[in-house]
Amino acid sequence: MAELFLEAKNITKTFEGVKALDKVDMAIGRGEIHCLVGENGSGKSTLIKIIGGVYRPDSGTIAINGAEIKNINTIESIRQGVQIIYQDLSLFPNMTVAENIAMNQMLESNSRVINWKEVRREAKKALEEIGETIDLNERVENLSIARKQIVAISRALTQNAKLIIMDEATSAITRDEVEHLFEVIAKLQKKGIAVLFVSHKLNEVFEIAQRVTIIKDGKKIGVYPASELSNDKMVFLMTGQNFRAEPYRFEGGEPVLSVRGLAKAGQFSDISFDLRRGEILGVTGLIGSGRTEAALSLFGLNRPDAGEIRINGKPVTIRFPRDAIAAGIAYLPEDRLTQGLFAEQSIGNNIVITVLDRLLNRLKVLARGKLEGEKNAWVNKLAIKTPTHRSPASSLSGGNQQRVVIAKWLATNPAVFILDGPTIGIDIGSKHNIHEIIRGLARDGMSIIMISDEIPEILDNCNRVLVMAGGRIVKEIPDASVSEAEVFDLIGRKNSTAGAAV
Amino acid sequence: MNVKKLFSHNETYLALVLIVFSLAITAVNPVFLTLDNFADLAKNSAGTAILAIGVFIVLLSGGTDVSCTAVAICAEYIAARFLIASGVNNIFAAFAIAVAVGISLGAVNAVFVSVFKIPVLIATLGTATLFHGALLEFVGTKSLNVGDLPQCFKDFGNLNVISWTLPNGTPYGLSVFFFILLGLLILTWYILKFTMIGRGIYALGGNPEAAKRTGFNLHKIQFFIYCYAGFLAGIMGIIHISLINYGNPMYLVGTELTVIAAVVLGGTRITGGTGTLTGTMLGVAMIMILQKNLVLIGLSSYWQDFFVGLIIVIGVTITNVQNKVAAWKKAG
Repeated sequence: MAELFLEAKNITKTFEGVKALDKVDMAIGRGEIHCLVGENGSGKSTLIKIIGGVYRPDSGTIAINGAEIKNINTIESIRQGVQIIYQDLSLFPNMTVAENIAMNQMLESNSRVINWKEVRREAKKALEEIGETIDLNERVENLSIARKQIVAISRALTQNAKLIIMDEATSAITRDEVEHLFEVIAKLQKKGIAVLFVSHKLNEVFEIAQRVTIIKDGKKIGVYPASELSNDKMVFLMTGQNFRAEPYRFEGGEPVLSVRGLAKAGQFSDISFDLRRGEILGVTGLIGSGRTEAALSLFGLNRPDAGEIRINGKPVTIRFPRDAIAAGIAYLPEDRLTQGLFAEQSIGNNIVITVLDRLLNRLKVLARGKLEGEKNAWVNKLAIKTPTHRSPASSLSGGNQQRVVIAKWLATNPAVFILDGPTIGIDIGSKHNIHEIIRGLARDGMSIIMISDEIPEILDNCNRVLVMAGGRIVKEIPDASVSEAEVFDLIGRKNSTAGAAV
Repeated sequence: MNVKKLFSHNETYLALVLIVFSLAITAVNPVFLTLDNFADLAKNSAGTAILAIGVFIVLLSGGTDVSCTAVAICAEYIAARFLIASGVNNIFAAFAIAVAVGISLGAVNAVFVSVFKIPVLIATLGTATLFHGALLEFVGTKSLNVGDLPQCFKDFGNLNVISWTLPNGTPYGLSVFFFILLGLLILTWYILKFTMIGRGIYALGGNPEAAKRTGFNLHKIQFFIYCYAGFLAGIMGIIHISLINYGNPMYLVGTELTVIAAVVLGGTRITGGTGTLTGTMLGVAMIMILQKNLVLIGLSSYWQDFFVGLIIVIGVTITNVQNKVAAWKKAG
């Protein structure tokens, strides 16, 4: 390996008695492309923030170019050439590309007035360095996420970056854009700039990474050449367990939900499929591919322009969620914290919210006994880890919170259960348990639509997969017979006709 | 600038509406389209326009300031009472006092917003009542008639920088108020466009979290914003009392919505980060012309309130819809 740029040794950090990092080492060479992976809560963000000078480690040393940096803070870290690009990119949407790129440098120069010529010159220079052209006068809010990323990278370059840390860089961009990002990264590498990708899952960045550091529960598991890691091996290293699931076997059944020609201008068009009893149908695609929008339409939260929905052969009109619930459709939303839970309410109250009308006594007042029974029944049935259903939902871990949301919808006794991103932000261990719950439901005859952008999750759990891009179903995969890479390709392909409709 | 680009600006539409509206009024009342009338309009609108600059800057940073009129009346009344009590007859002394009061009250707003992180609308709702209540209790409620006021206010109110005489012999002129407004506009424009603190205001309004991470001193920026708004309110106070030659501590308070409406009408997004001074001035012109001419076109003055309300509602709706459309486009 080339000369070391950054070497973090024996980093320990404790938050309120909890060890977030325990003697973690990480070394990044000059111009190296490195990955840092670990589950949520494994300590990877703490480690980046220590390198970035946001947190001070309890013990351990950080050396840059061989010299130890004592008492590292944000300013010192930036001065040493470390730039962190957070997932939200930290751009100013209301300002121009030029200003966004040059802003940090202007601030650093400590001048009180702005020289606009200088701003444009700096921005242009930074973009040219990575061979990009973006209209300097365009407002950043009008750019795609991939273009915004380029702006953020250019901004890092104005700060003489020697190490650019990118947090979940590829989770919101298409395959083509990922390719383009890789080209940019390659150019950075040629200039001797190192890039550290931080992620909680195995993804595209492994294609260009040289080495991978894996951490788990605040401890370093090891550092591996990327070429020697497979998905299974990495999951095993990250979790200490093997989760190779048997593919879901579907025995066949009569259609429960039939959708024909569902369309909404600018979002999706010509969505047609049948969902059979006991089936787990996977739907995948990028954010903006129409997957979530179409699902919301099935649940009465996004009124479509055209199309027909049938339940058990009978046409139904779904204008509001209550229509969907009455038709036997349940929907687990993508963002459980804002859309799925009343976080400060008790677990029990969260569960019974969908079925309060069934828990009334003769005076049409909530019946205490029935409520208690229902709440306890679901906490037990889904093995929600809590001393009592009276604890607030916010006291639970992500995986257990998701069980509460699942319980709340199962209480409505749905025939069709749409799960949008059922395991987003959930640790691999609990993820596996949630998959088991979903399979169990399907085996008992419920029909499941599982929406996810984690392709392994889809391929492992679904007996059939619809791939969406540009608002259309671009491919139906009848079984899990394709590779991840093939699905990736399908997802990234922008559908030109749908693109024009937008 | 090409035509397409011109029409991507809010201001262009607003200017067109303003022209059409002016032509309509002229059709009913030909006096409207005369130099003298415009000189009058400029004089009468200068105070509101100066307040609007303050509201604009606060809105740009992502907050709605409803205390501007309370600050202005405090500054105005305290300065006038002080001059009367001390016997000083100097307009610069009046300005100095008013500006000092304005900046101090602005700093109080800044403490609530910046240090205690209270939402701007709530903080200024509270301080507006607090300031006004304190004024009435501790300074007084006595109205100041034209005879009570020091001569300097009257002279200042009648001071024209450019003068001309109408054919019928009436002297006319462009008031000094207009030039004060012009000076403040240039100052504000320079601050917003060319200083780090001005760009910081845009940054704060666009993405506060990123502004912090980038290294802007948000406390400093917020203190600047509210003190500057207070400074403008102080100047407005003196212009206001000099214009009407009458001091009453119950005036101005209650008109802040009109000022906010003017700024929103001018295309400043209520969510912060986006807006221009040109738009703000067009918005003020629109509202002032509306106010002065509704009666001329045969509508009762109650329509004023109706229109101001309508403008706020429509303005906010347009911003909201624009954001949604932009979000859809992005998603597509």
